[in-house]
Parts: sequence; C-alpha cells; structure tokens
Amino acid sequence: MISLIQAPHDKPLRIVDFKGGHGIHRRLLALGLHKNHIIELDSQSIFRGPVLIKDVTSDISVALGRGIAQKIMVEIVDEKK
Amino acid sequence: MTKKNSYPDVIFIGQPNSGKSTLFNAIAGLKAQTSNFPGTTVAHTHSKVTIEGQVLNIIDLPGTYSLNPSDPAERVPLVHLFHEKPDLIINVLDASTLGRSLELTLELIELEYPLVVALNMVDLAEKKGMEIDSKKLETLLGVPVVLTVALHGRGVKELLHRALQTLEKGWSGFRIEWSKDVEEKVEELEKHIPEDFPVVANRRFTAAKMIEAGKLLFDDMLKDINPPLKKSLDEVRQELELMHNAPAYEVIAAERHHLALKIFEESCRVERGKRLSLLEKVDDIILHPLLGYVILILVFLGFFFIIFKIGNPLEELLLRPLDSLRYTLSLRLGGGVFFYLVDGLLQGVGGGVAIVLPYFLPLLFLMSFLEDIGYLARAGFLMDTFMHRIGLHGKSVSPFILGFGCNVPAVVSTRILESRRDRIITALMIPFIPCAARTTIILALVAFYLGPLWALGFYLFNIILLGILGRVISLFFKTPSPGLILEIPSLKIPSLKNMWRKTFFELKSFLKFAWPILIVGSVVLAFLQYFHFDRYLNIILSPLVEKALGLPQELGVTLVFGFLRKELSLIMMLQALDVGYTDLMTIISRQQLIVFTVFISFFIPCLSTVAILWREIGKKVALLSMALNTGVAVILSLIVRIIIGS
Repeated sequence: MISLIQAPHDKPLRIVDFKGGHGIHRRLLALGLHKNHIIELDSQSIFRGPVLIKDVTSDISVALGRGIAQKIMVEIVDEKK
Repeated sequence: MTKKNSYPDVIFIGQPNSGKSTLFNAIAGLKAQTSNFPGTTVAHTHSKVTIEGQVLNIIDLPGTYSLNPSDPAERVPLVHLFHEKPDLIINVLDASTLGRSLELTLELIELEYPLVVALNMVDLAEKKGMEIDSKKLETLLGVPVVLTVALHGRGVKELLHRALQTLEKGWSGFRIEWSKDVEEKVEELEKHIPEDFPVVANRRFTAAKMIEAGKLLFDDMLKDINPPLKKSLDEVRQELELMHNAPAYEVIAAERHHLALKIFEESCRVERGKRLSLLEKVDDIILHPLLGYVILILVFLGFFFIIFKIGNPLEELLLRPLDSLRYTLSLRLGGGVFFYLVDGLLQGVGGGVAIVLPYFLPLLFLMSFLEDIGYLARAGFLMDTFMHRIGLHGKSVSPFILGFGCNVPAVVSTRILESRRDRIITALMIPFIPCAARTTIILALVAFYLGPLWALGFYLFNIILLGILGRVISLFFKTPSPGLILEIPSLKIPSLKNMWRKTFFELKSFLKFAWPILIVGSVVLAFLQYFHFDRYLNIILSPLVEKALGLPQELGVTLVFGFLRKELSLIMMLQALDVGYTDLMTIISRQQLIVFTVFISFFIPCLSTVAILWREIGKKVALLSMALNTGVAVILSLIVRIIIGS
C-alpha cells in the first residue's frame, strides 16, 4: 500500500483506503472515487503540483492537490491476475 | 408548505457539467448561465414557460454531486428540494459519465417526488463507445428516461412531453432497495423517528440522511432536541460501521455506488479501447507538465492582445461622435444648469458605451469561450502549485480569471470554494485584480501616454502584488487550505450560440446593475461642479491628494467617484482638470500619472463590488476589503512617488 504521490505513472492502481478527514472523504465519494476503483495517474505538473488522475471505473478525470493525493492509499494492480 | 402560486414548480438538477444549464436555456431562452467549468451556475435562475398549453415555473439550480452539500453553491439545491418542495424534478445526467451520474439519480429517487431523467450529451457518450439502452434504464430506475443533446435541441420536445405526463401522474411508487442489512438498519432508525419530527421528503430518506449527515453540526443539534433519537442514531451508525468496517456515511454512499454501477452495467454496453480522439490528444498537450505552462502563458497573452486589438479602434470610433455631440451641446445650451444635466447624462451613458463596452464585450466573449471548451478547469490544475504558495489552491483560479472581466461575478463565483477560509482570502484578493474598467484606465492612461511596455509592467507589478497579498492574508488564518479536488471535464467544442448567449447574459446584468450607477454618478458630479461643491470635496481630500500623493488638488473629487465605478475616475479626471484627452500631459507629469493610476487601481473596490462582498461573504469582509484596498493604495502610491520622485 502506497500513497498516490509515491505511485508509478505507467501502471493501473487500485484505491485501497482514504487517510483524510471525513469532509474530504465525502467529497471524493461524491465525485465518484470509491474504494476498489481502478485509477491511472495521468499527469503531474513539474513544480511539485497537483496530480491528475483518471478513474477508469467511472471514467472521470479529477485533479487532486498534493495534500489530498497523499491521503489516498493505492496498490499497484497486478495485470497478470 | 403552501404554494406561492398555482403554477407547478419544475426544478432542473444534475451534477456539474451535465449540460443542465444548456438544457434549461434551450427551454427557457436567454436565462441561465452555462459553461464547461464545474459549478458555474452558482445562483439559481427562474423562468416561466408555456409547454403544450401548461404554464410551468422552471428553476435551474447549481450543479451538485450529491445531496450532501460540501460547498455553498451546493447548498442552494437542497433548500429548493426540501423547503420549496418542487412538483417535478428533471434530473439531467451527463450520459458519458453515466455510472457516476446515476448516484445522484438514485438519491433523487429516494425523495419519492415525481422525477424525469434527461440523459444528456448522448452524442458524446456514443463517441466514447457507449451504447445506452434507455428503455432498460427506464425499467431499472422506474422513472421516464429521455435521451437528449441539449446543445442541438435534440430530445427536448420529448423530454417536455414526458415531464408533463409525469407531472400529471405524480410519483411512480417505485422504490429501489439497498442490500438487506443496510436496509434493515435504516428501517430501525426510521421507527425511532417521532411522528412530529420535521421529516424531509419521507421517513426513509430522513433516516438515511441522518446516518449520512456530518457528525458535527447535525448531531449536536439532535442531542439537544431529541436525546433518545440521537442514541438510536449512534447505535445504528455503530452497527453499520462494525458490519462493513467503514464509516457509516461511506456504507450508505457505497450502497448507492454499487447500485449505480449495477444499473450502469445492465443498461449500457461499452466498447473499450476506442482510439484516442483528437480532443484527447489536444488535452494531453494542454495538460503537459511543460508545454501546458507555455500554452497557459500564450493563451493569456493572446487573450489580452485580442481584447486590446478589438477594443482600441472601437473605443476611438465610439468616442469621436460622443465628443462632437458634447461640443455641439455646449454651444447650443451654454453653461446653464440644463447643460450640466445633459452633459452628465451623456458622459454616463456614453462612458458606458464608448469606454467600457469595447473592452468588456470581447472580454466576456473570450471568457465564455475559455469556459466552454473547458480551459478554466485546466488552468486551475496548472496553477494549483502557484496558488498553494499564496495559501490557496487551484479552484480559486476561476474566480480570479473572472475578476479580470468584472469583480462582481468573480466574488459570486467564490461559492464554488468549499472552505470559508478560501472564500474569504479569494474574495479579499479579487478587488486587487484589474477588471475591465481598470484595464481601461491602465490602457487609456499608462499605455496611451507612456507606451505599451509601461502598461505591461503595470500588469506584472499587479500580479506580483496579488501574490504578496495572498501570502500576507493567509498568515492570518491558522487552518490550511483543504486542498484541490477539481473534476476536469472533457474538452468540448464550444457552441457559438451558447457563447453568445452567455456574453449577452453577462452584458445584460452589467447594463442592469452597473450602468445606472455610472449614469447617476456622472449626473451627480455634473451638478456638484455646477454648484462648485466639488471644490469643498477637493479641499477636504487635499491632505491626501495634494500633500501625500503630490497630485493636483482637482483630482480629489474623481477619487470619490471612482468608488461608484472605476472608469468614472478616468472620465472625471479629464472633466475635473478641464482638458481634452490628448492634452492631458500638458497639465500633469509622468510621475503624477503613474501615482494616480496606482492609487485609482487599488484604492477601494467599486460600489458594486463592495455591495456583492457584503451580500456574499458578509459585512465584516466587505469593510475589511475597503480598508485593505485603501491602505494598500496609499502605501503603494507613496512608495511609487518616492521611487520615481515627483
């Protein structure tokens, strides 16, 4: 389990947990980012900026500030399985 | 609750970017504002329409992701849903994000109100390889589903037809159940809700919302008014949390989520792996970690370049007949009070037309273009890093950019920010953004007399000032910004019709709100001059104007009127000094010109901005903003005066 910030760019990831407060968690849920969703890291701006993720399960793109990305725990999906 | 009138209320509700406002516009005409930025309809719009002989009161609400609000804009729909009980809900969905969008639909179905689903942007969904079976969806949801493409008016007629049918029939009686264990717990709590409890929509919905509700506010209130109910609520929450190993609100959200996904999978076939569309390739470049910033800079340089290229000749074209008209009038009417009245009127009306509109109109149009293609959200993403340095995050970028047009809608749009802290900081900074009116002053004074490079320098200086101010203001807030969570909508090819509509809408609100102030201000100034009252004002202000700033005493009165509308200061500057536009430099020096521009740009937000700050954020912030702006303006003008030494 790693945070979204540490996750690699070229592999599909699965959301495992949220470490943040309730408010932020609710907001992410409302946007359609749930546990077990498969996501991809799209782009990361050069100045240690926000991360852009694409939720493959619900087919949406969301920009997340680094503070929030740090609180989203993911695991790398083993494609062979 | 009793009804206000006999016409049925029909509300449009949907997630941000579902094309709700576009659909609403297609039905109501030039009313709501739409764009491709999550959360642009921040206030709601009413309209009366006649459909098949039936008059309906239709209401467009701000987009909301769920019925658990997290920002002030999202609270508006709730007030409407719960207090003004609509007769019919039209739920607008973005078909291309069907799975996610259905979660709100399921919540709306729980309300047990008459409901029709408009599955919008089906063309986009088809392009993404989605094949939606609307009949199947209708059976699964138990409500009418109509496929629409609001932008082209497709499906609108059928939607209205089925809406009227549903209005007549009422709630379908169809319920969608959650998994057994969750359903049982909700039912358990439902039994504990006393008969006289202020139930929202129905008892099941109320119970579910209580479980979901934010712990802080709601629970404290409940503890006071009904301790036994609070106890059973705690028990139910605890049991749910134990059973599912997740917070109770997540359990409920997950129920809706799984249902939504199931319905989505049963009613929609997705052909995966479609080729990257051209727009997606463009998007990769726009959001590129390096190229993205180059494009961002080019977009904004181009943005202002176009506005000036259009505005400048247009302004000259419009000013000429105005000047000759004034000249003719002064010959005909002499120097009597009647001339002052007519001249004041002319200055106000003409000032609006000839000075503001040439810049304002193209600015509004380009802004709506940037919004509609979806660039504002992307700018928010790219700018997030820099915004963090000044204590905010990327979502504040959109209000800031709007501020370059006019500060008033910019302040309103701070509603999209979730935290009060971010709202206050953003709102305090907006009055320092040079709006179209101040841009006019900078161009007409600095660029015209000192050259375009000076104007560019002035802009740079202004942006640096914004950065410093943001940092300083955030020092006063202990809590950090909650951080950026911003949906990036897919890039869209904008519709010219939509852009014109929006431009027209903004223009109309400018004409209604600001122009009258401009006209009245000009007339009042004319009278003040006729009665030589302006002299007293000038004398009162002379310690500031003459002693501190080193400006001609006559300019005192123009500052007072800059409070009404910033561009008034420019018009009145010439009026007060009694010189023609081209002869200004014979009376004042370069240094004085710069000090004047600095002072007028930053000092006190205009009356309309103060009014909107007062209404939107509160009295304290409005007063603070006035004090802050004036303080900064005085300090900066003094520094500038010392540096260039007048």
